[in-house]
Amino acid sequence: MKKLVPLIFLLSATPAMAVDSPITGQVQPKCSVWTETAGVYGHPLPYKLSTVPADGGVPASIRIDVAQADYYKARFTHPNSFSSSPTLNDAVAWTGSTVVGQVSVSDMSAYEAAKVTYNNVTEFNLTLAGSTWFTVASTAQYGSTKSLPAGNYTALIVAECIAK
Amino acid sequence: MYRQIIIALCLCTSLNAHEMTPAYPKLESSYVDGVSVAKLKLFNRRSDVSWYEIGVFTSDWKPVPFASTSNIIEVGYNKRKLFDVYIRSKDIAKAVYICTESKVFKGKEQVTLVSSRICSKIKQNK
Repeated sequence: MKKLVPLIFLLSATPAMAVDSPITGQVQPKCSVWTETAGVYGHPLPYKLSTVPADGGVPASIRIDVAQADYYKARFTHPNSFSSSPTLNDAVAWTGSTVVGQVSVSDMSAYEAAKVTYNNVTEFNLTLAGSTWFTVASTAQYGSTKSLPAGNYTALIVAECIAK
Repeated sequence: MYRQIIIALCLCTSLNAHEMTPAYPKLESSYVDGVSVAKLKLFNRRSDVSWYEIGVFTSDWKPVPFASTSNIIEVGYNKRKLFDVYIRSKDIAKAVYICTESKVFKGKEQVTLVSSRICSKIKQNK
């Protein structure tokens, strides 16, 4: 008890030291391009490669997150040539599409109706903050129903986020 | 409710993103006379990509001459990189976008590769 009393006194006399420790952060317009699924070509017919599920393929899924509304537009270019393939002696007919998939804000569904398509490019005006999933499909048909040579085929999708 | 859970799951599981800030970089005077500089930051969360190409473009996507430490920069997975883009004063008026584009390797399978590109718009001094 004799030792405890001075100890309590000393502790109560010690000044409490408080230092402000601020946490800083910055919110700014930002766009992130997430490549969630790289597409895979199915080979339903000898002359056809397709990412459409009905053809045994997997379409590419790309998510775009925007932190602030109405600062960016998204642009997707589906392939119109192979980036690598065996030697092809005939023309390849390319088709493709980009559609809005899942959305984090229900009003983003309107992006689909408002999209602008030209050549192999599809543009979306990202007027709302949040995440939007885009599904990009691609189909290649070789010659006039000619069999594609055996080998590996790759094609490139470009997903862009452009400040407005 | 389910949508929020799905989004949260996706945010936790997928780690393949490309980010660049600021959206509107400002050109400032550099230490070289007649050359302005914009400072940008790239964040690579794409595990499949470690190289990005820098480009400067006009409003109709024509390339504009610029200088940086390298046109193609290496950014490790989950790493940030600050980089400077130098533009000559005579090119400033036509320079509109500064972009970074991921460089993907040719695949060995029957796949579609996804190249991501983010473009910031240069804030012009009025």
